Amino acid sequence: MKLGILLSSLVVLSLLGCTKKSDEIKIGVYGPFSGGSAPMGLSMRNGVQLATDEINASGGILGKKVVMVDRDDEAKNERGGQIMQEFLDKENVVAVLGPINTGVADASTQYPNQKKVPQIINVSAGAKVNELFAGGKENYVFRIAANDDIQSKVIVNEALKRGYKRPALLCDDTNYGQNGREKMENALAAANVKPVYVGKFKIKDTDMSAQLQEAKAAKADVILAYGIGPELAAVSNSMVRIGWKPEMIGSWTLAMSNYITNAGKNGDGTKMPQTFIEAAATTEKQKKFIEDYKKKFNESPITSAVSAAQGYDSMYLLKLAITQAGSTDGKKIKDALENLNGTYEGITGTYNKPFSATDHEAIKEANVMLGMVKDGNVIQADKK
Amino acid sequence: MTEILQILVTGSVFGIIYALIAFGYNLTFSTSKTINFSLGNIIMLGGVVGFSCYVDIRSGALIGTPYIVPIIAVLVAGVIAGAAVHSFAVEPSLKLKSEYTWVLATLAFGIIIRNGAEQLWSTGDYRFPSPLGDDPLRFAGVGIYPQEILTVVVATLIVFSIEAFKKYTIYGKAIQAVSEDKETAMLMGIPQRQVVRISFMMSGCIATMAGLLIAPLTFVSASMGTGIGIKAYAVSIIGGLESGKGLVVGGLILGISEFLTARYISSGYKELPGFILLILVILVKPSGLFGRKVIKKV
Repeated sequence: MKLGILLSSLVVLSLLGCTKKSDEIKIGVYGPFSGGSAPMGLSMRNGVQLATDEINASGGILGKKVVMVDRDDEAKNERGGQIMQEFLDKENVVAVLGPINTGVADASTQYPNQKKVPQIINVSAGAKVNELFAGGKENYVFRIAANDDIQSKVIVNEALKRGYKRPALLCDDTNYGQNGREKMENALAAANVKPVYVGKFKIKDTDMSAQLQEAKAAKADVILAYGIGPELAAVSNSMVRIGWKPEMIGSWTLAMSNYITNAGKNGDGTKMPQTFIEAAATTEKQKKFIEDYKKKFNESPITSAVSAAQGYDSMYLLKLAITQAGSTDGKKIKDALENLNGTYEGITGTYNKPFSATDHEAIKEANVMLGMVKDGNVIQADKK
Repeated sequence: MTEILQILVTGSVFGIIYALIAFGYNLTFSTSKTINFSLGNIIMLGGVVGFSCYVDIRSGALIGTPYIVPIIAVLVAGVIAGAAVHSFAVEPSLKLKSEYTWVLATLAFGIIIRNGAEQLWSTGDYRFPSPLGDDPLRFAGVGIYPQEILTVVVATLIVFSIEAFKKYTIYGKAIQAVSEDKETAMLMGIPQRQVVRISFMMSGCIATMAGLLIAPLTFVSASMGTGIGIKAYAVSIIGGLESGKGLVVGGLILGISEFLTARYISSGYKELPGFILLILVILVKPSGLFGRKVIKKV
């Protein structure tokens, strides 16, 4: 008898669960929540979480509750594809946010295009977004992150502005690092400068003195680096070891906590492009974001502030699009994203029609500022 | 000139570390005729346990314990890990009729340790501040970290004291007897099972100490031991699994060749020469550069 009640209540509960589901909007979020890229992945997820909670507290989207479905891709390319298939075929998400790593993004962006589910890439800089138009098909992939084209331009321009003539490039051997190397070489070539040395290193390498010695032997006057936190920290530490300390300018990942703590004082003065600098927050919105983030996740400074801010903004842009579309249909959301009415004041900037039918990159060179590591913090290097 | 010296110094330090870990392979191979493939992850255990007892994981600052605490903790961890791999992986597989089950069993044990560390601890990379300071000393322009000097000194001490232990104490002689001929040693009243187990514990301690020593030179992470474990294994094959001198030479060859290649050929090919040498040694002199020829009686 008791079993009967239990079973029937289970049935009722599961029915309730079913009816409840249609009142939900499921958003897939994926990124590395473990491994060397984890600070970015976790901060991004926290940013999305913060936005989601705010949205739900103010009534959700179209009267429905937003539910975040998050998966750890472990920064592994093949996991990205598997997760995306799970999102689209099993979880039936209406949109996807993420990922962090370029390789993961490259391995997974084909699926949303096939299934007509919009995706906003909120951190990955190397993923080919606008290039997806080339096939002439509709493109469901958007991005709110400074891409490698912009980043490499900012890095190279800063080096040239400071009068360096003999740059050495040092990049990791992943899709991300090598994509960045190519873009930096192009940007340098445009200014008629040839790097005197191009070196690479592997993920988990901890001593870069050989590469640095070669750069030094080539008489390099500045190091332009592209990689993620731990290995970039090894670059800074090896510089001190061989007693050669040229200026280092590199990818935005130099703002990651695992660069700043692992390099310690050896990291002081390193510069990188940033879309958001916690220490330089000026607007009310940015200050509130930092405050709320601290309250919710008990974390200050934010481990990877750029990822958190971009994650937060990506969720709000998606909300605007779904509200404007008045539906959770993938095609309608995509059309709304390409034609957003009104202005969105976000953490990483103010967006007025961030996307168009032929340009899916929200962040332009003007949104990017230069950050600099100083005493364990990232500060703004170029006060505009 | 300074540049070459710097490469030689860095390469030698890494070479000595490889040799020390290879010595751990050597120790259990001689008594049990198995290779403990989980040793790489036991190294990691040394780094992680030492880190937890010495550094605050959130802020990266020291928690104020004296350095002896992590030393004792990693030795205990080494003894436990060595005993566990012997009881749960090696001994049961040696009882089976299939000859090479221990390969999979020790590999599996290593993966379990690594996944455990990822779950219980973290998957991030952390800096382990050296107790001797993190500023390099300079000799004729060559940067050497105090920790590197400590590593080389301690590694040499460990190797020599274990060799002396084997030569001059009755327990050491028991180990040697078992490695020479298990059956005869048993007939002479040597508790063979216990001797093998102790050799595993000693090798576990060597690995965790190596992990603690190299932690300030690399970063601490759940995957820090995998690469080193494989390279140390290559060293033990190059040098000869049963030769102490061979391990040091093999270690130096691998360490220095890595940094020479990275500097003068390409950093992308850093690991290539060591492994080419490994294959050459297997082809030309399978018992290793300094190995004895072993005739297996069937």
